[in-house]
Amino acid sequence: MLAIPLTAQKGAITFTEFDLDNGLHVIVHEDHGTPIVAVSVMYHVGSKDKRPDRRGFAHFFEHLLFEGSANIGRGEFSKHVEKAGGVLNANTNGDRTYYYEVLPSNQLELGLWLESERMLHARVDQKGIDTQREVVKEERRQRYENQPYGSILIEVLKRAYTVHPYQWPTIGFMEDLNAASEQDYIDFYKTYYVPNNAVLVIAGDVKAADMRKLVEKYFAAIPRGKDIVRPTAVEPQLKGEVRDVVHDQIQLPAVVQAYRIPAYGTADFYAVDMLNRLLSNGNSSRLNVELKDRAQKALYVGAFSFPFEHPGLAIAFAIANMGVAAEELEKAMDAEFAKVREGMVPQPELDKLKAQLETEFVRDNSRVAGVASNLATAHTFLGGAQMASRELERYLSVTPEDLQRVAKEYFSPDARVVLHYLPKNQKP
Amino acid sequence: MRPALSHPFMAGLLLAAFTPCIPMNAQVDRSKPPRPAPAPAVNVGQHTTFLLENGMRVILVEDHQQPLVSVQVRFDIEPVLQGDKTGYIDLMGEVLAAGTSAMDKETLDRTVDQLGGDLSTTSDGVYASCLKKNFSALFDVVHAVVTTPSFPEAEFEKARKRMLSGLQSRKDDPDGIADVVGRVLTFSKGYPYGEIPTEKSVAKVERKHLEAYYKRFFRPEKAYLVLVGDLTEQEARQAAEKRFGPWRPAPAAVSTDANGQEVVDGLGTVVRPTKTPKPSRVRRVAIVDRPGAPQSVVRVVFPVDLKPNDPMALAGQVMNTVLGGGVFNARLMQNLREDKGYTYGAYSSLDADRYCGHFSAGASVRTEVTDSAANEMVFELEHMRLNGVKPDELALAKSFMAGSFARSLEDPRTVARFALNTYLYDLPKDHYATYLKRLDTVSAASVMAAAERFLHPDHAAILVVGDMERIGNKLVPLSFERGLLQLDENGDPYREELGPVPAGVTPQTVLEAYFKAIGGREAVEGVRSLKRSMSTTMMGMPVTVTEWNAEPDRYAMEMRSGTMLLQQVRCDGTRAKRSGPEGAEEIIEMELEEMEMNAPPFPELHYAKMGRLVLPGTAQVNGEPAYKLMVMTDMGSTFSEFYSVASGLKLRREEMKATPEGTMKVSSEWKDYRAVKGVLFPHLIVQKGPVDMSLSVTEILVNGASDAKHFTVE
Repeated sequence: MLAIPLTAQKGAITFTEFDLDNGLHVIVHEDHGTPIVAVSVMYHVGSKDKRPDRRGFAHFFEHLLFEGSANIGRGEFSKHVEKAGGVLNANTNGDRTYYYEVLPSNQLELGLWLESERMLHARVDQKGIDTQREVVKEERRQRYENQPYGSILIEVLKRAYTVHPYQWPTIGFMEDLNAASEQDYIDFYKTYYVPNNAVLVIAGDVKAADMRKLVEKYFAAIPRGKDIVRPTAVEPQLKGEVRDVVHDQIQLPAVVQAYRIPAYGTADFYAVDMLNRLLSNGNSSRLNVELKDRAQKALYVGAFSFPFEHPGLAIAFAIANMGVAAEELEKAMDAEFAKVREGMVPQPELDKLKAQLETEFVRDNSRVAGVASNLATAHTFLGGAQMASRELERYLSVTPEDLQRVAKEYFSPDARVVLHYLPKNQKP
Repeated sequence: MRPALSHPFMAGLLLAAFTPCIPMNAQVDRSKPPRPAPAPAVNVGQHTTFLLENGMRVILVEDHQQPLVSVQVRFDIEPVLQGDKTGYIDLMGEVLAAGTSAMDKETLDRTVDQLGGDLSTTSDGVYASCLKKNFSALFDVVHAVVTTPSFPEAEFEKARKRMLSGLQSRKDDPDGIADVVGRVLTFSKGYPYGEIPTEKSVAKVERKHLEAYYKRFFRPEKAYLVLVGDLTEQEARQAAEKRFGPWRPAPAAVSTDANGQEVVDGLGTVVRPTKTPKPSRVRRVAIVDRPGAPQSVVRVVFPVDLKPNDPMALAGQVMNTVLGGGVFNARLMQNLREDKGYTYGAYSSLDADRYCGHFSAGASVRTEVTDSAANEMVFELEHMRLNGVKPDELALAKSFMAGSFARSLEDPRTVARFALNTYLYDLPKDHYATYLKRLDTVSAASVMAAAERFLHPDHAAILVVGDMERIGNKLVPLSFERGLLQLDENGDPYREELGPVPAGVTPQTVLEAYFKAIGGREAVEGVRSLKRSMSTTMMGMPVTVTEWNAEPDRYAMEMRSGTMLLQQVRCDGTRAKRSGPEGAEEIIEMELEEMEMNAPPFPELHYAKMGRLVLPGTAQVNGEPAYKLMVMTDMGSTFSEFYSVASGLKLRREEMKATPEGTMKVSSEWKDYRAVKGVLFPHLIVQKGPVDMSLSVTEILVNGASDAKHFTVE
């Protein structure tokens, strides 16, 4: 397959790309500013690709894939990277698992070897499985159970989704991890960790022209897997408001509102995200000015879009200032959503958001690790790596009419999840 | 050549997808990592610097790869003690961004956002960044914030309120508590780094304090203006001169008091610390209680005499990298996470500081393994001190640090930070240019010397933020003091919060209510002797415990595993003895007196004669309000008992007991009261410390045939 060079447009991310015969897609971005290179692989498997009795498997698997391979002993994976002066990590969400290293550029082949070992014949032994199970339990405790308001995502997801696997958090549940068998691991790996379900991105101080040969050297022999069967569950619309109270180890009440929004990459997704930015991006955003500064009802307030491959969520979250009740806080939040539904956002305010986005785009793409992640994400979810440069356009083309329309369509009080987080000592 | 699916030496699950049908590329030998190409040159990069006439130093690092510019104005301010208005310095940092003489906060925020920029302030400066095309306008805002902040009263009050809310919510944030109390334990409250804002101190802050601090310390001759990004030298010079060239603020009104201390108008006496914190004489263990916490946050902390320009600073960083400094292969991570699965992550940091450095190691671990984890952390520090590092660890740490250094240069602000540090910390001019060379020469011997100089596990403070009831006693052996320090979330000694006692309620009325609740004083006084049989488990084995109590002061106990006698106690009112398979010992002095005191079936009948009874207040026992009755015996011992306000029943008893490892809190809870011969007795006793036991009562004999032999002491 021919390499497709993209001439450098102003502000566009340049790259070349090609496919191997086994279906592996490869993207290469040259940047000689610093003698480093990011090597990353995004596998199109996440927490939604699981059986209902294997929740948390994708994330657990991510941990296991650091345990070694046929040629790499337990604990050696990270040793190779750190000995080479590099750094490594991974992350999992509902839709994909992403592994990356950032290495000195003369260690590019090490990165390719490591990722190809992982893809070809990863290996786990019982000690590794047992240890990582304990580690994931502690991760769950540290992130969700031992933090004030830590359980919010878990509590929201299970009410916002009833049919779709998104209802279960990526961290999963211990019972399911404990029940996993050897065959489960083999099946999962054989199904999802295959080149036709992955994109390899190389970004940094490399010569694009040399990459095909090098990538083939390590990855060509990895056999293609079967076509992936994706979950087909379609979550029906929320029928009304789902309202609940969660008592937590906290001092100040909090309000969480979750709205269902279109999938990442759709035109309306960008309008919805603009709406959340209008409400919460920067100190002059509406929620910050009204709730935090003027009325002093909130100690903290924010509104964010969760970009899922299937229709996702927007979550607004506020922690009450001392002496403010959850009801009062909720009313103030609702008033801001109503303002966007009922009035047209003035163009200068929209222009402000656009200025912020322009800066963000440049910043996000000023690091090779950031570029690698954006290219991988664009290829996997937006239809092609070139979309990484087009996202800004899609944001910039949102109009005040779009904002009002999506506010009415997606941010209705009649179809949402509302949780009040209350201190345990307020339990009746 | 096909890859083997099973090598002879391999154990474990191999996740190979299929047996490939195509031959593998004969050129690649997968069995070894590939060799690197020649190492690229690492170019640290240059900076330009010049002084403005008012003494402000400008540092410029050009980077035209991205159309971004950032600006930092940093003031070089010595730490001062805030005393009873602790919090005013942080508030000053926040309210600095809340308005200037020309713009209120809303206008300022909107202006920054409209430029697509961000701007933040701290108590020692301002940082802002945006795209090149908007930089001039943003720089104007920075200039206004630095030179003409207005500290509006209304904004100050809002910020204060937010700070108070933040303090309140910190009570449930274990990491926040660990940070704050960690600082107190490291530096003490008498040092600026250890001062903690509290509700009381924040209430004392006034707007004038913020303005006075600003006037005194935000001075051009102490300022650095750091410009990074898409600016040419000419642009930078022009921009700096135009904004800050004319900045000549009037000096703050300062005088000296009788003690030679500086007095600043609006702030009062400004006290600078005279002593630098030192590690404590002996290792302490402090706990902040979080009942029911699923994890403990564990920290090992102490101050360190290490300035950034110390010749051993680099060896110290190498040592810390091996110990716990960010590599996955660090000792703490490998031990506590990869080997034992106690935690998601364990780390350490060795921080150099011009005034007082510090060390901190930490992890969040599940509650049950808190003491084990703390022990492992101490072990790793000791092991490093005594044995230093192995060659492969040293090589990995140095490689990693070299790689980190190279990677950090991707951000042009790194070079600017290097330049700023050179001035602030009085570093050699070539400090960063020679970093990689100096790193390469760090030897195992110098790392060992650094460990000896910087690691003090025997003089550390170990802080645990976790469930004290479950793990407190197990931590006692780690302390070199008598026992644990229980602290509150501000790092102060814990003071139990008791509710008020209603009028008319006295120790006597509480005891009478108890007797009434369990069957009436007459029935209770009628119990002359008691035999209780209980079952429990010890280390997984079923064990029976039988106790005999008889008026006035006779007691016996037998603990058996099946028919085997594990332990036996006998007290005849004059002497007592404890015996078991290993032998026997006489019980004497205070222990004997206490045993005789607790011997009768209902010692509560005799409390009034034992000493002083006090009712300090009401507490919560498992969510139930209870009167706290303290008995201070004439012998000098004290114990506390909790009697339910609603039912009158005794719920719990607590006392501090000396053990060979130290002083531990010992408690018993009484549950499941059931009647035997008209008197209510608890049928489940949950004991904590020195050994945790749950005792189920299987049989109670009241006034059974008196058998004197049970109490006979040989």
